[in-house]
This record gives sequence, structure tokens and C-alpha cells, in this order.
Amino acid sequence: MATQSLRVVPSSHPGEGSSSKSIASTANSFGVHDTFRLGTRSIANELLPSHPLERRLDQWNQTQINLKLTMERRIYGIHAPIRHLMERNIVSKVQRAPILPSSNLALDILMGKDETIEFDDFLNDPELSIEPMDLHASMEHKLGIKF
Amino acid sequence: MTQRLELPKGGFNFENYQRNVALEQQGLKLPTPTKTGTTVVGIIFKDGVVLGADTRSTAGSIVQDKNCDKIRYMAPNVYCCGAGTAADTQFTNSLICSQLELHRLATGRETRVCTALTLVKQMLFKYQGHVSAALILGGYDVTGPRLLAVAPHGSTDKLPYLVMGSGSYAAIAILENRWKKDLERQEAIDLVQEAIEAGIFNDLGSGSDVNITIIEKGKVDNIKGYARPNRREPKCRSYKFARGSTATLNLSAVTVTEGDAMDTS
Repeated sequence: MATQSLRVVPSSHPGEGSSSKSIASTANSFGVHDTFRLGTRSIANELLPSHPLERRLDQWNQTQINLKLTMERRIYGIHAPIRHLMERNIVSKVQRAPILPSSNLALDILMGKDETIEFDDFLNDPELSIEPMDLHASMEHKLGIKF
Repeated sequence: MTQRLELPKGGFNFENYQRNVALEQQGLKLPTPTKTGTTVVGIIFKDGVVLGADTRSTAGSIVQDKNCDKIRYMAPNVYCCGAGTAADTQFTNSLICSQLELHRLATGRETRVCTALTLVKQMLFKYQGHVSAALILGGYDVTGPRLLAVAPHGSTDKLPYLVMGSGSYAAIAILENRWKKDLERQEAIDLVQEAIEAGIFNDLGSGSDVNITIIEKGKVDNIKGYARPNRREPKCRSYKFARGSTATLNLSAVTVTEGDAMDTS
């Protein structure tokens, strides 16, 4: 996404290079698909179309935030978005271990989400997730460590 | 098995979509959602808004509920009629209802109908018609009686009389013919009843009773079953079995006074 775009909603056309597949997200330190951790790779599955809403919802918040920051930049100068991003960055540093949900109330207040309720807040609530997760693997993933 | 490295995100989950596409390509029939094949109507009269709805909900050609409630609370002065997929209209309604409650707590003011409308249309536009809820919002706020409608893709209408759902064609014919400015309260109720009944009798997706909600300044009247044009004639005979219809060979009765003590040995 262009950093200074004034887009209100995500583009409905898949971006450039969306038809190419990469193993960057599933590669281990040797640069090949990590079969031990992630299971065998299925090209057939990756080529099936994804839901038309999936990409839109994925990019929705980022697009809206980007719009607001771009407008701030144009109205107040570059200091305004930098300041806001810095505040958000400081606040989102305080979190629990990556397998535990963090409420991050301060971040919600900065983003103006503390007094709203949306589907994400009560459908598929991550706090109620019963999927077992490995603390060490999650921490390595969060810190970008690859073995 | 793939290992999860990040906590799952809330909201809609598309994890099974590709699996379902693959299964569908191999000939699996996926279930269809329950639709409220519906007639819902709203009109503005002299000092308020009248909302009306039928009470049938359907799944394909099957009537799934003969008495479902399509006029729902949104705020103390705003009510909402829903047409479309039953689950989607109900969830949209309750989500926006909660958002309005939070908004009232934050601002300390009475909700305006256009606030509710904006929240609904922005939410529906985000989901591009995949949340299939078509709503009629009616209410009385600082600007007077208000009547607004939202289609599933987020487009909205503001008109003095509105219809939604599969029976809308039958109902709009009545309203186009008989609605006029500054109707009296009882005239408005009669007109809504007639429009809903046109939907009930002429549209197979609509049926059963007529529910009506009248919203005026500081006052809301919910009338369930205002008209019941499809009451079944009561049965002429009782089909209950008389006592002793089944022969018993022997009978033993045990009187339990305090319950047996639990065996803990």
C-alpha cells in the first residue's frame, strides 16, 4: 500500500504479485519450507481462491489508519503522524507473553476503539480460544528468531 | 498439523473457506441459511412512525418459524424491522444496538435515528453485502419522526413510507395507493396492517400474524399479533387419551420421604 494514499477502503483488485506464491512466511533458517513445524506444503490448496472478503477485512484497519495518518500529515505536518505512531508504539510494547491475550486498553484508547463494539470483540474471541500454543515457538516467531 | 504461532484474531474466520470450495467442487451440497422471506413496512404519520411486520421465517420452501419477531429494539426511541438472512439481521441489530448504548453512555444524549443508520450502513458496506441484512429503521428523535432504510450493500433511503423483503411488492402497492401526508394514528395503523396483510396473502415467503410498533414522542407501543388473519380453527374434539387407556399388569409404588443416604463405604 502506498504510504501516502488517501484510500478510504482497501482496493478491490488484488495487488501486484498476488498470483505469485512465496515460502518466505513458512521458511526456516535454511530458506526452505519448514515441513517439520508446518507440515507438508500443498500447492493445490494455495491455488484455490480465497474468500472475496478475506483480503478486504485483513487490510481494512490498516487502510483506515493510513488515511488518517496521511491526512494528519497534510494538515499538521509530518510531526503529527510521527507523534501518534510513537505513542501507539510505546503503548503496544507492554504486552503479556505471546500465547496470552493482552487487553491493551491504552492502545484501544489511542485508537479510539475503547467505546465501540465490533464483530471482532465478541465473535471468535481470542481470549476464549482453546487451541494449544507453544510458548517458545511463539516467542521465537515474535522476535524473528529462526532455527 | 500446522502449529499456531500467533493468537487468533477475533471476528470472521475464513480458515475453512478453501476446504469448502474444494468439497463443493467435488459435489458436496452446502446448507443454505434461514431467510426471513418477509414483508416489513414503515410509514410516517402526523406525530410519529408506525412499523409493521409479518411473523413467518422460512428456509427454502419450509416455514421454519410461524411466530418470529421481526421488529426489534435498537434504542429507547428507535426500533428496527429486519429482512434478509435471519441470523444476519439479528446480529446486525444487536451489534448496532450495543454500539448505540455505548454511544449514549459516552454522550449522555438521546440516540438519533441517523446515528443508527450511519453505523449500520458503514458496517454493511464494509462486508460488501455478505452480511445480508435489509433493515427499516424508525424512530422519534430531536428532529421529529424519522424513517430510514438500509439495503444489504449499505445503500440507504429516506422516504415517508418504506417496504422491504419479498412481500414488498404487494405492500408497496397498498402504500402507493393510500398513503397521504399527516395521517391520523389509527389511520396509519390500519394502513400498515393492510399493507402487511397484502404481503401475507400474496407472498409465499410471508405469513402468520401482523406485528405493529408505534413510536411517538417519548412513547413506544409494541403490539404483538395486532391482527391474526391466519388463526387455525380450534379442534372440534379433544384428542387426549383418557386416564387408564393403557392397561397396566401390576403396580408398585415406593414412597420416598427423605431420599436414601449415599453409600460411601
